[in-house]
Amino acid sequence: MAKEKNASSSSKIWWITFGLVCGATFLTRFYKVLEPDHVCWDETHFGKMASSYINRTFFFDVHPPLGKMLIALSGKLTGYDGTFHFEKPGSKFEGARYEGMRIFCTTLGALIIPLTFLTIWEMTKNLDATVIGTLLLLCDVGFLTLNRYILLDPILLFFMSCTIYGVFKVRSLTDEGLAPFSARMLAWQLWLGAALACTISVKFVGLFVVLFAGLRTLADLWNVLGDLTKPVSYTVKHLIGRSITLIIWPILLYVFFFWIHLTVLSKSGNGDGFYSSGFQARLEGNSLNNASAPRVLAYGAAVTLKNHRTGGGYLHSHHHLYPAGAGAKQQQITTYTHKDENNKWIVKPYDREQVAGVVLVRSGDLVRLTHAATGRNLHSHRERAPMTGKFMQVTGYGEDGVGDANDVWKIIVSGGKDGDEIQTVRSKLVFIHYLQSCALTTTGKQLPKWGFEQQEVACNPNLRDNNALWNVEDNVFDQLPKMSFEVYASSFLERLVESHAVMLHGNAGLKPKEGEVTSQPWQWPINYRGQFFSANSHRIYLLGNPVVWWGNLAFLAIFFVLFIVNSIREKRAQAFGRIVEGDSSLLNAAGWNFVGWALHYVPFWAMGRVLYFHHYFPALVFSSMLTGIITVYLLQSIKSYLSRELGRAVYQGATGLVVSTTVYSFHLFAPLAYGMSGPLANEPNSTVAGLRWLDTWEF
Amino acid sequence: MDTKKSLKNRKTPKVLNEVSELSESDKFFKSSENKREVGDGAPAENEVETSKTVIKTIEDVDKAIPSLYLHLKLDLVFIILLLAALGTRIYNLEDPRYIVFDELHYGRYVTLYTKGVFFFDAHPPLGKQLLYLAGHLAGYNGNFTFDRIGSAYSESVPVRALRIVPAISGSLLVGITYQLMLEISTYQSTAILAAVLVLFENSFLAQSRFMLLESIQILFGLWGILCVIKSTRRTGYAAVLWLCFGAFSLGCCFSVKYSGIYTYYLAIFLVGRQMWRRMSNTESGLRLAVSTIWRLVVLIGIPLAVYIGVFYVHLAMLPKAGPHDSVMTSAFQASLKGGLASITKGQPLHVSHGSQITLRHSHGRTCWLHSHAHVYPVRYADGRGSSHQQQVTCYSFKDVNNWWIVKRPEQPSLAVATPPDAVRHGEVVQLLHGITSRALNSHDVAAPVSPQAQEVSCYIDYNVSMSAQNLWRVEIVNRASEDSTWDSIRSLVRLVHVDSGSALRFSGRQLPAWGFHQHEVVADKALTHQDTIWNVEEHRYTKAEDRKERERELVSAEMIPTAATQLTFWAKFMELQYKMLTHAADAPQGHMFASEPLEWPLLVRSIAYWLSPNSNVSVTHHKFMQLQHKMLTHATDAPQGHMFASEPLEWPLLVRSIAYWLSPNSNAQVHLIGNMITWYAGTLSVLLYGGVLVVYAIRQRRAFSDLTPLAAQKFYDAGCILFLGYWLHYLPYFFIDRTLFLHHYLPAYIFKILLLAYVIDHIYYNIYVRESIKSLTHIFVLCIYIWLVYVIITFQKFSVLSYGNTDLAETDLLNLRWKDTWDFILHKKK
Repeated sequence: MAKEKNASSSSKIWWITFGLVCGATFLTRFYKVLEPDHVCWDETHFGKMASSYINRTFFFDVHPPLGKMLIALSGKLTGYDGTFHFEKPGSKFEGARYEGMRIFCTTLGALIIPLTFLTIWEMTKNLDATVIGTLLLLCDVGFLTLNRYILLDPILLFFMSCTIYGVFKVRSLTDEGLAPFSARMLAWQLWLGAALACTISVKFVGLFVVLFAGLRTLADLWNVLGDLTKPVSYTVKHLIGRSITLIIWPILLYVFFFWIHLTVLSKSGNGDGFYSSGFQARLEGNSLNNASAPRVLAYGAAVTLKNHRTGGGYLHSHHHLYPAGAGAKQQQITTYTHKDENNKWIVKPYDREQVAGVVLVRSGDLVRLTHAATGRNLHSHRERAPMTGKFMQVTGYGEDGVGDANDVWKIIVSGGKDGDEIQTVRSKLVFIHYLQSCALTTTGKQLPKWGFEQQEVACNPNLRDNNALWNVEDNVFDQLPKMSFEVYASSFLERLVESHAVMLHGNAGLKPKEGEVTSQPWQWPINYRGQFFSANSHRIYLLGNPVVWWGNLAFLAIFFVLFIVNSIREKRAQAFGRIVEGDSSLLNAAGWNFVGWALHYVPFWAMGRVLYFHHYFPALVFSSMLTGIITVYLLQSIKSYLSRELGRAVYQGATGLVVSTTVYSFHLFAPLAYGMSGPLANEPNSTVAGLRWLDTWEF
Repeated sequence: MDTKKSLKNRKTPKVLNEVSELSESDKFFKSSENKREVGDGAPAENEVETSKTVIKTIEDVDKAIPSLYLHLKLDLVFIILLLAALGTRIYNLEDPRYIVFDELHYGRYVTLYTKGVFFFDAHPPLGKQLLYLAGHLAGYNGNFTFDRIGSAYSESVPVRALRIVPAISGSLLVGITYQLMLEISTYQSTAILAAVLVLFENSFLAQSRFMLLESIQILFGLWGILCVIKSTRRTGYAAVLWLCFGAFSLGCCFSVKYSGIYTYYLAIFLVGRQMWRRMSNTESGLRLAVSTIWRLVVLIGIPLAVYIGVFYVHLAMLPKAGPHDSVMTSAFQASLKGGLASITKGQPLHVSHGSQITLRHSHGRTCWLHSHAHVYPVRYADGRGSSHQQQVTCYSFKDVNNWWIVKRPEQPSLAVATPPDAVRHGEVVQLLHGITSRALNSHDVAAPVSPQAQEVSCYIDYNVSMSAQNLWRVEIVNRASEDSTWDSIRSLVRLVHVDSGSALRFSGRQLPAWGFHQHEVVADKALTHQDTIWNVEEHRYTKAEDRKERERELVSAEMIPTAATQLTFWAKFMELQYKMLTHAADAPQGHMFASEPLEWPLLVRSIAYWLSPNSNVSVTHHKFMQLQHKMLTHATDAPQGHMFASEPLEWPLLVRSIAYWLSPNSNAQVHLIGNMITWYAGTLSVLLYGGVLVVYAIRQRRAFSDLTPLAAQKFYDAGCILFLGYWLHYLPYFFIDRTLFLHHYLPAYIFKILLLAYVIDHIYYNIYVRESIKSLTHIFVLCIYIWLVYVIITFQKFSVLSYGNTDLAETDLLNLRWKDTWDFILHKKK
């Protein structure tokens, strides 16, 4: 075909096709984009967080900040004032200016399609494969649905598409033999690096695309290395260029995004309790902000003790006893994440009520801790802890500070020496029970109602317990000079590291509960079950276009077989000294898509956290591109076996069939994305009853 | 073919040289020393100039010496190694005569085998069967209760016999190592080195001396790999035979412990690689296909047959009901002698109108559909309202309130007609609760704990606008035909609520105190979930018409057994597989150990925190140690947060040890701890091999070839077998979500030791073939010797912790405590 037409007309066709794809994208994505005018699905989370950015109040989330910041920015610019509550899915916007945010997300979501077009073109330089691959993605109703709301996914997928495009653009440039430090090369590498940083700053699943880019870069370098006409220094130059643009540059960007995040969220909010004392000291409105306290701990001081585990609370007690059946019926000791008078403890030497003058508490001292409000001593004994049977119970015991020998604790600065002073906030403390030799710890388990759902405190005989670390937070003692908490406030770097620890902890904590139905990775590619976005009269159901999805699945299998057959054929041909003819570039591109698909899908099998259907969509992008490429590869192979006229007829007929089936299936399933009303599909009189191809679809 | 021959030839003279030295002196350390100087010359020379003349001269030498000597002498090294291994492994085997670590579990299982009582374990049975076999031959009668770690064995327990299988396996391992390295390495001395390293490895010693399965598993695995390698290097019948041996052994390997499956994967990879390489030969495609197919058949068929056979024996050995029955389904339980069978024997088969039944939740948690005369609270804690009808729950204990009566909606009488009116698939019934006579009902009210599903209740007519919706369609999941009868025990049924189309389902959540913490039962729209499957367990026909009479019948009924339920081996096998597979996933979620929910942070914790003994804890130090002893003896079977648990990342650096046992009256103790010198060298060798691999690959890409084709082939073979083997056995543990111990690392570690030996081999070779630095070989060999001596000294030093026969003073222990993170145990000083 290429021979018959000259270069200018083929480029004209390319532009026309590209224009058509863009037009179709625009039409499908923006049709009814502002409907429904209520909060859909996870918009409730991301809308809330966008409001937090606009109001600058601190919050806690398991995802990195970029996506939410972009949503907030778009909202701010289009007049959203951050006052709407995004209470729950289904609540009406009632005049809140949500349009800007939704259109922004939809725009990014729409840009994915032209980017995919460019990517496949860059990979194969084959217009047919490009069109089919792009069309599959364009006509997938699930992809459409997911990319039209105030969610992180359109942003993530957009940056991911930018990355993939960048990866293959860089490959083409490298293959063309562009010099390592030429401006064009560097520009595209910087683009790629920026896209990488953005992807991973939206959601941590961006890590997979980073891996993909890493593999692709290694392959590029490997190819460059294999070119024996060039010196090794040439490869080294490439390596240096890429290290800077694809490693250092993205890291800088990533840190920069966090810097913005931490700078913007300067006010105290509901997420404070998850963070350490030093972190909180930076938040305006937090009690630790602008506070001052003595630098070191002395006997007689009233202190609060914060547990060092991620999200740990303050050592707490109150006028309630452990109920019968939960150890001795003495006063409860818990950890409590909120600030309260009942968190105050007075530090005393183990043998006296008071000391004369200022005597500093030192590491290795034996102390008693008396609860300020109730006068009971922190106490432990050989009773099982209420929730964790292996640990010992910790109680409040005694009257007005008079207890028994089981109230004695040895205070030790972790990582310090005997005799070290105990510093407010900075020192990590371990409290070892003197008689039972166990460490005061919190297990993080919630007590039942009798304990007001606060967290259990126990004494762990295994002293290697990372949760047994505490720090002094408030320190009230008048005889020592106070100093400002500013000194303790974490630096940016510490806060960056801590944010990550908290995020990882939060992610790991997202565990399915027993009996809960969660989405399983095996269900995704077969489009087993969808997800309701909006359940009221205007129903929207996230479900892939089955024609596209099942087609993709079949083509994954076909690719696998083709790949094996092809490599065996090559190997055999080598053995007999023949040369295999045929173009391997399509198969090579398909191979990379397969790698991308596997990278974005297989790791979910090993994940313990709660998984959702929409986690599959990044893999779907690769899978669709693969299908487009393999379709053309197959058709070309068939064509090569037939006579010229027949071949062309079959080729064009089949292409037409694929395109029309895809478009028709989109037409069929479009109501899922644009909104359905009327009865559910499992009732016979529903308008969409005919679309319920699987029993598990519940629209 | 040519290269292969030359390879064989090169090996023979070297062996000869070596062995002639051996005859002079019995100590093989010394001999290997001599050999290094004398023996290595021939092969190395060979590789420098691979000219045919050299090969020919060597062939002449080969012919000159009768092959009889060859065999006899080769065996000598092997035999010496084996004897040394047996000596170290079997020495004082019955000491300590106390239950050590996991002997607690395995001992229990052996006892249950002796008694024929069914038990459930997440590991496959072969290892335990072997232990049992040895115990049985020595006359162990099962009259010992394995109550806790550290309690003494009575006189009647043949401790030596029970421990002999792992001990012999551990000894053979040394020999197998030697044989395997002969296949891989360039020099014979490397093979000896590898075997010596395994011989003087404290962790393998400790693991081989007690009733533990790792040494058996590793032996089968390594032997399997050796056979597979031999098969790939031979042709004709020899290849078939070796592959069959290998496949059999690998089948045994994963029938001992499931982690043996990684060894199996390695074997499959090796065979696959062989076939892949053969494709570049100009063989006919047909031959290639045939040889691929028979290999595939052998590699899949034999291990599978072994695995199934082992389970066949297992089930045949355990005919009696026991404490673990409740994990299995009713049908399985009923097929065991005693237990449920004694209740269900003789009960009617077909559930009919008027049948009294108990309905058991078939998969997952064992519980029965239950109701009692208490109602749902009007308002739940979260403010939602309920129907205030009678509660329906799933109760985990047998109870008279678990009885239900099957009733056809249109028939008023409850007595069973003669002949009984059997209920069939697809028919609609009502279920009356036996004691309260209320009908099982569901309606459009959200369930108490899972609000997305419908509430299920027993209907009380409050005379409000809420009518009864108590019709249920019986769907028999495992029906043979469309009009199957509903059989007790055998049929798996789904009860579908007629009005709403939802199925009766166990939701897996517990009700709060008002529901007595029993489990919630709901009606769920998702029909196909496995928690919607129930089966009838106990079953009898209602005789009395009167309600009071019926109640008495329920409360006082007793069944008289007449015939046993049968279940085929396949059904049992499949069920057992399913349970074993799902068991592990259940455990962390509190299925078996409901009081211990998953403590995620314990799995992600970083390097453990320790109070330095020389600073401030000296007062509490001894008490702490004593307490640790308590912990050790009491809590070793707790699944989570074990004191001696470790993380995969900590293994290569031997951060943690495991205390196996502490003598009750002295400080003698057994620890699983590696030989530090070997251990760290091994870790280094992995890094080294990886680095060298990358360097070679890059250099080759630039068309420099550093190795002769032969040496390169050896290098990559070693990589495929040892380097890959190591990672295959190690990496999966990063994705396993349960408590891990150091001994999980041992299967990977054996590959690491072999890799270490190979890396030394390779360095030596590289020094040797380069003229400029050839003189360094002596220095290198000397270094290796110094290192080896150090290894042996360390082994000797730590062997007290493997044998556990020496009382240790505090200073001894502190001397052994090379790392802060190793927890040794001390009795408190009086």
